[in-house]
Amino acid sequence: MSQDVPPLGQVVATELKPSTPHQFHFWTARDAPMGIGAIVRVEHAGRVVFGVVTDGVAYSDLATPMHAVIGADGDPVAAGLEPSERVEIRLFTASVLRQMPEEPLQPVPLGPVWLASDQDVALALRMDAYTAGDRPTGIPVGLYAAGGLESPVYLDCDFLLGPEAAHLNITGVSGLATKTSAVEFMLGSIFGTFPRHKGSVAALCFNVKGPDLCFLDQPGALSDEDRRQYARLGLRPEPFEDVHYYAPFKPDGVNLNTLRTHEALAANTQPLVWGLREVLDYAEVVLNRDDVDAKADAFIDFLAERVVGREYQDDMLRGKPFLVQSFADLEVFFRAIFDFMEVLGKGGEVWKTHHLATIRKVRNRLSNISTRSKGLVTDDGVAQDLPWGAFADRSVHVVDVAGLDPLAQDLVFARVVSKLREHLERRDLGVDHVVVFVDELNKYAPADGAETYVRKMLLDLSERGRYLGLVLFAAQQFRSQVQRRVVGNAGTAVFGRMDMDELAMPAYATLSPAIKIKLATLPKGELMVRHPHFTQPIFVRFPRPAVLGGREGIERFPPGPELPFAGAVARQLRRLDRRIAPSAVEALLEGRREDDVRRALSATRRERPADPLAFFSACLGRRVNGEVVGPRRGVPAVKHGDDGYGI
Amino acid sequence: MVRSLVNLIHLRRALAVRGLTLAGSALDSQAGREEGRIRPARLLEDASLAWHPVPPPAPWPDPVAFLDGVQRSVLLAYAGAAPLVLGDAAAAVRERRARRLAGVLQARRVLLIGRPAALEAAGPAVGGVDTLALPTDEPPHPGRDLANAGRALDRVRGALERSLGEQYRRRSAGWLLVDGPLTESPLWAADSHLVGIARSHATLPFDGPDLERFLHLPAAHRTSVYQPETRSVSPVLEWALRLWPWEGKDIFHGLVRVQVAPENGTPERADLISRRILAERAPLSPAGDGWDRLLYGMHTVQRFLRASTPY
Repeated sequence: MSQDVPPLGQVVATELKPSTPHQFHFWTARDAPMGIGAIVRVEHAGRVVFGVVTDGVAYSDLATPMHAVIGADGDPVAAGLEPSERVEIRLFTASVLRQMPEEPLQPVPLGPVWLASDQDVALALRMDAYTAGDRPTGIPVGLYAAGGLESPVYLDCDFLLGPEAAHLNITGVSGLATKTSAVEFMLGSIFGTFPRHKGSVAALCFNVKGPDLCFLDQPGALSDEDRRQYARLGLRPEPFEDVHYYAPFKPDGVNLNTLRTHEALAANTQPLVWGLREVLDYAEVVLNRDDVDAKADAFIDFLAERVVGREYQDDMLRGKPFLVQSFADLEVFFRAIFDFMEVLGKGGEVWKTHHLATIRKVRNRLSNISTRSKGLVTDDGVAQDLPWGAFADRSVHVVDVAGLDPLAQDLVFARVVSKLREHLERRDLGVDHVVVFVDELNKYAPADGAETYVRKMLLDLSERGRYLGLVLFAAQQFRSQVQRRVVGNAGTAVFGRMDMDELAMPAYATLSPAIKIKLATLPKGELMVRHPHFTQPIFVRFPRPAVLGGREGIERFPPGPELPFAGAVARQLRRLDRRIAPSAVEALLEGRREDDVRRALSATRRERPADPLAFFSACLGRRVNGEVVGPRRGVPAVKHGDDGYGI
Repeated sequence: MVRSLVNLIHLRRALAVRGLTLAGSALDSQAGREEGRIRPARLLEDASLAWHPVPPPAPWPDPVAFLDGVQRSVLLAYAGAAPLVLGDAAAAVRERRARRLAGVLQARRVLLIGRPAALEAAGPAVGGVDTLALPTDEPPHPGRDLANAGRALDRVRGALERSLGEQYRRRSAGWLLVDGPLTESPLWAADSHLVGIARSHATLPFDGPDLERFLHLPAAHRTSVYQPETRSVSPVLEWALRLWPWEGKDIFHGLVRVQVAPENGTPERADLISRRILAERAPLSPAGDGWDRLLYGMHTVQRFLRASTPY
């Protein structure tokens, strides 16, 4: 390799600071553009070594601080006016990224040191193995920059989305454009560069707080520098084209429980409503919290297999069969059991081998779900769900659970991820790979605390998902507070600005103090990346995501006001047909029961008829006029003339 | 720039093969230097030796350079009773611009020193190393020959220093500060931009009460300007300058003799040059190098030369 530029440093080795196969030291001029995280090349006697700077020291020939005091006569101002600057050394420590040739592995030679060029960066990070050739698999993650040089850094999609390794974990303090911005940029990068020969890919994001992910389909403001960086990375700075939002209702069942309720964004914002069947299949999610035992599990199985969604005949309970399709139907069924046990069962404790206390416990838990998840769980038994089996390539599906009760959030996570896994196992989801983004991972897969269904599910996803194409992109503020196996299974890890307390945890012991201080002071848009191909962490810059941020989005698309019942119904119908007049809807709802209205609205949304108002009206049925009850007349006294008493 | 490495182990092994008696010790680099004496000077300022407070320190204007040299010798072997010494003499000039010192000139000589017979006995074993023959007007005496070797190396170093000093002055109009007296060279002695700073006080310019006054010079004061009596024919003027308080320490602590060309010998020039030298007190040189008298610029020259020693 010929050198057109002079070296910036020289490797030095002493007995106390020797050069080893994994680490070396070099000095530079004081004004050399060398810094922590810089990638360097040592070339000497036919051997090329790439390293990344992990630490640095500077010192002068001052024997003791006292000499500085004496020299300045005790005056700090005079210290800066000394006619000569002291001789000073800048000594850097670098960890080896790659040696060429790789065998025999030897200590780093005591040769000159250069800053890495584009080509050097590709070699140092072993990117040459997957960014070149007929079937490249590189995904841009950002720009490595040092000393005025700037090089794109690529991840290997085989190690990001499987099957070799998979998953991405992001750590960083809140509010510094680390977690959400990084994942938005990464998804954009994946969608823009995921090779066709690797199949199709979609993303499913859980929006767990505020408006963070509510505007992925809207363009964000980018600076010229951002656009330059996009161009350097070979990416187009555009928002996602195919985005679908799903949000449950608020408890009123007609206003969507999301901040994305602006009229202009209504077209791709759909309700997420589940029925009893959808909930019961994942009852374990909410029941395991309170130490529900095997007896309860057995009764739930009984309900799922014998009762829910089919006719259940038990002449002891009532003459006609039960058809349990909703929580309301289930309540009727439970009531029948309790009545039977109290009256006909003569105070017995067991019904069909299930203890009455178990039945009551299950009833309470299930009833609790419908109460705490009101808006997500419907009573009418008709679900509105994600398009299982119809996921499109490069589509993004955002499930907004920010406004949900934690129990309902768990339910959503469990069911959505389980459904993804089921469909990917059957290869009928519509895409080959799905990236699932979960923020606040420390909340859903905490390092401590009781084992929960969601944690087990996330662990399973992280351990086995890559074989299915199910990939977890997760973020958290404190990596140390997340289940170790979940983060440990993430092939790629990204770190933004970190809290020093977090960096003091044993998990970061492998990082040098200089790397830690760099992490604690990282500016916006810079990340440290660990990837299986990189033997050491690398710092990169990435541009602002090309989508509208949550805060800006809320300003540009302020959420619509929460409307009264009739107004909210009208708004939903107007999404199907903008000609529908709110006044006509209000007139139609006059005197109607809200449950009937919700049921009709749900059917209308599901059917999407040509004339939504007429269909909605038909679903509501004929108005039943209230019966006018006349004044009661008194019951006349019975007159008996032959009353023996003579009255 | 000179950079040739000498492998002492190989050299000694080759000498042993030639039948010489091996020896190994570093020699005192001060060997052969002047012994203590008094050479009365002629006062040119004041009727009797006086102390003059130096005005506040003021740094030299850019560029200013520092010239110094080092020497080092090791005893290699004996050819009979005659010692063979390997000597290294080097000199360098480091120039300061915008507070930063950088090497601009360097010269080095590595020499095998001994009587001609001893050098002949070593023969090709020391191939590639220059030789320097010691005088043979007296019979071999190991102690005397070692002292002669030291003096010979001292002269080599002096010659290197003079050569570099003259080279520097030809290429630069800046001031050059020399570690030592200017009397070694007529060119130096006449150069108005050269200042010699002598740290050694083996030769003192006064005796009696004047000597006591000379040695009790307070800090940041200079003595009257005088003309030292030297063996050299080059006339220079001189004064003493106390860089640091000596009270409670040695009487020579911080005491230097400043030598200049005659035209710099006026009281005004003496004050100006003294102010500039006082400004050089900081940064301090490391403690081991006699920091009280060694200017930092000189220290960096010495350190630079020692770091590049060939053996």
